[in-house]
Amino acid sequence: MLNESRIKLMTKMAAYESNEGKKNMAIGTFFHGDYISKEVIKSIIYGTVAYFVVVALYVVYDFEKFMTDIYNMDLMQFGKVLLKRYLILIVVYSVITAIVYAVRHRKARKNLRIYYNNLRRLNSMYRKESRTDDI
Amino acid sequence: MVVLLQIRERIRQFYFKYDNFVVPVMKFLLALIALIVINKSLGYSAMLKSAPVTMVLALFCSFLPLNFIALLSVGVVLLHLYALSLESVIVAASVFFLMFLLYFRFSPGDTVLLVMTPICFVLKIPYVIPIAAGLLGTPTSMASSGCGVIAFFVLKNIRNSASLMASNPDTETLVEKFRYLIDALLGNKEMVVFVAAFAVTILAVYLIRRLKVDNSWNIAIATGALIDILILLAGDLKFKLYLSVAGIIFGTVFAVLVAVVIKFFVFNVDYSRTERVQFEDEEYYYYVKAVPKNSVQVSAPKVKKIKGNVPESTEKETRVKRSSLRTEKKDAPEYHMHRSVTGKETSVSRIEREVASRAKESRERRRNS
Repeated sequence: MLNESRIKLMTKMAAYESNEGKKNMAIGTFFHGDYISKEVIKSIIYGTVAYFVVVALYVVYDFEKFMTDIYNMDLMQFGKVLLKRYLILIVVYSVITAIVYAVRHRKARKNLRIYYNNLRRLNSMYRKESRTDDI
Repeated sequence: MVVLLQIRERIRQFYFKYDNFVVPVMKFLLALIALIVINKSLGYSAMLKSAPVTMVLALFCSFLPLNFIALLSVGVVLLHLYALSLESVIVAASVFFLMFLLYFRFSPGDTVLLVMTPICFVLKIPYVIPIAAGLLGTPTSMASSGCGVIAFFVLKNIRNSASLMASNPDTETLVEKFRYLIDALLGNKEMVVFVAAFAVTILAVYLIRRLKVDNSWNIAIATGALIDILILLAGDLKFKLYLSVAGIIFGTVFAVLVAVVIKFFVFNVDYSRTERVQFEDEEYYYYVKAVPKNSVQVSAPKVKKIKGNVPESTEKETRVKRSSLRTEKKDAPEYHMHRSVTGKETSVSRIEREVASRAKESRERRRNS
């Protein structure tokens, strides 16, 4: 038999599943720490690529100077400066990533909790219906 | 005002009814405007400039996600620049690549601002962006609009030096051209002032419009406009940018007008879309179309019927149906004003209430038994 309130609940849940729910369920499969670590690792990779792009632009920009000075310059010192800047970029970027994704994980878990509560409600509705059918 | 409120209501109902068509048409128009602006301001590739290609690309965008418009615009820009010179492609591609890599992975939805900001700059209405973004967006819009400003100034620099860029491509001039573009980008004080002004304005508008005070949206618009003007004028004086003061003031006044229109159409109005969902249980397959419903508690207006000498005691209270309010213009303001105060009650919240009350009842029954 068709139960109107059950259909409404199912519709609401299906709408959530097809929109925001997809993302939230993907996030919800991770523990808080695991999810943040995964995103921070991604950020480190993206940050490294971005840093290499900037360094490449810098080298092309000062190409002549760079080519003439390369035999005279203190390569260790140059490497240290590059490494220091790289570390600063990565640390700052990782901290921002960790904060952003921690907030997102918390929100996703909250929404999922509501969704699972609705699932439980739906389950109890089915049980009630089957009991009334038996009677 | 009554007429405006009625128009808004009609637009909203039209959107509910035809959202399947309205959204693709809006996407198509946005993509078309973006492509026309790019073609007009860069337009180095004759093939991309042609009307059929532009139309096909815009049509393509109409049924793809909104972010695709940004990606397509970037692609078209790079192809135009490739027709001009390789150096300009390298510089522009690096800037866009860094933006997508570092920022847009956090909030891919904000790519619309990346497209809209340069468009507004070309249309000479850039001051609309910070106020609109503050009203509709979040503080992350500061970064998105900043990216849009940078993208505009990168392309402006390239366009201004187009004759230099198009000259003979040998290795020495290649590095020189590259250096020229980077210098023009890094030393662009106007760009820095615009980025700062937009960021501060967006933050101010966002914070003020969220305050729990009367007319917070109006105060936010006015304050945002003033802050924007002040920062731009201060930057102009400090760095001697020679910005047009009249342009800033009139542009901001126009931005305020646009913001008022945005406020009228967005403030306290629900544009949630119709959901079409499919699911099944053991007995049935369900194909459900859930239409968002604003169950408005329409206050029953008192209608006085005055017939010649009939005494006032024959006053009749009539409950006016929602559909009849459209025709009875006289009663419309009461309905609309009431509506804007009471807000909406969705069918979802009613279901929740219903479920909660049933749960309570069943708990009480269990306790009694």
